[in-house]
Amino acid sequence: MELLDRYLQAVKKFLPSRRQDDIIAELRANMESQLEDKEAELARPLTATEAGDWLKQMGAPMMVAARYQPQQYLIGPAIFPIYLYVLRRVIVLALIVYSAVVAVVIPLTAPSGTALIASALRIPGILLTTAVWVTAVFAAVEFFATHHPGKCPPIDALFGAWSPSTLPPLEKMPTTGRKPRSFAQAVADIVFGLFFLGWLLLIPRHLFLIMGPGAFYWNASPFQFANVWMTFFWWAVALSVAQLVWRCVDLVRGTWQQSARAQRMTMQAIRLGPLELLLSVPGHLYVTLKHPAADQLQYGSTLYTINKNIHTSVLFICAIIVLQLAFDIGRIALDAYRKRATVQ
Amino acid sequence: MTLAENLFENLRLELRRGCLTLAVLVQLRQEHYGYTLRKDLAECGLAIDESTLYPLLRRLESQGLLVSEWREEEKRNKRFYRLSSDGERMLSQLLEEWNSINASIDAIINRGQ
Repeated sequence: MELLDRYLQAVKKFLPSRRQDDIIAELRANMESQLEDKEAELARPLTATEAGDWLKQMGAPMMVAARYQPQQYLIGPAIFPIYLYVLRRVIVLALIVYSAVVAVVIPLTAPSGTALIASALRIPGILLTTAVWVTAVFAAVEFFATHHPGKCPPIDALFGAWSPSTLPPLEKMPTTGRKPRSFAQAVADIVFGLFFLGWLLLIPRHLFLIMGPGAFYWNASPFQFANVWMTFFWWAVALSVAQLVWRCVDLVRGTWQQSARAQRMTMQAIRLGPLELLLSVPGHLYVTLKHPAADQLQYGSTLYTINKNIHTSVLFICAIIVLQLAFDIGRIALDAYRKRATVQ
Repeated sequence: MTLAENLFENLRLELRRGCLTLAVLVQLRQEHYGYTLRKDLAECGLAIDESTLYPLLRRLESQGLLVSEWREEEKRNKRFYRLSSDGERMLSQLLEEWNSINASIDAIINRGQ
């Protein structure tokens, strides 16, 4: 039967060369026996349509051949959970390291907003490359473990030292009923924090990043910022770095789900330091004249108004932070009171 | 196929997978070649696709549970399979396990009624 020969020839092409003749001979014997039975039942040879239907029922040649192959996985079920865990962690690590490098290198080498945006646009490619590398490593481990089972220790053995006593303590559920922070939120906080740091470091050389078009008018004006702003700037950088380190530590320790209230309150309290520095500037001189001798007469009163307004604004910001701190402390006290009342 | 039908089909295949291996091992206490084995199983109510059964025989042989030999029968060369001595030991263990599971499932069903 020509159709059967063509079918077996098609199956053979998808079989491993070492075993294909043996498999095809066996398959032929079985199929010919089946064909004989069918023809004996009908008392006539199968028509072309019937033969076609029969072979169709057997399955597509590629699928039939595939059943003879050993079960293969790129990454098998035994190591897939570990792969997924490592992939998530490595991608997060790559994102954080890249953002940190961008935040530090760009202000030092090519300080511009365009360079910062270009770096941000490179993130998907970097994450994809990282994922490909992690997948390739795990696929190689899977391949080695499958083909050399004796030489590769079982994956389970890696977790043999696990003990229930090493389990982390129960996480505190938020009393406010809000959902705890997700891992993605915690990572996003760090990445955006790093980009904020990069933006912050660019400000001294690119005032337009904070003042917009007003920066050009400012540069053309007779005024300049007093030196106290540089001290304030480095305070802000230090605070930003401290907050990032705190968040990274939370992520590494696996405590990112916990309420960030304590962190926020501490940061707010520390923020009062640089504001206090601004408030204590002698004579409230936040802005000075580039050429005092020549411009004092013409711009003296404007300068006084500018400095007075800045002082008032700083005072206002200080008041907001103090009120916010007081509000947070009040909420903590209220939560503690409610908790005690529920226990009693 | 609806979602429920699809789910049923997946669960049915999962349930059948181990049973088919057991049925094949039991049936191969007597020598068979692929096609007659399939016919015998179908007559007992356990129809198996050719594309499932024939590779399964190869796999069981590579695991040492079956032995095979090419022999001419009715003017045609056929590959005959039968249980190996390892296969016999494995079958008795599997049957013990099967009976135990069967008894447990029966007990669970009867308790629920």
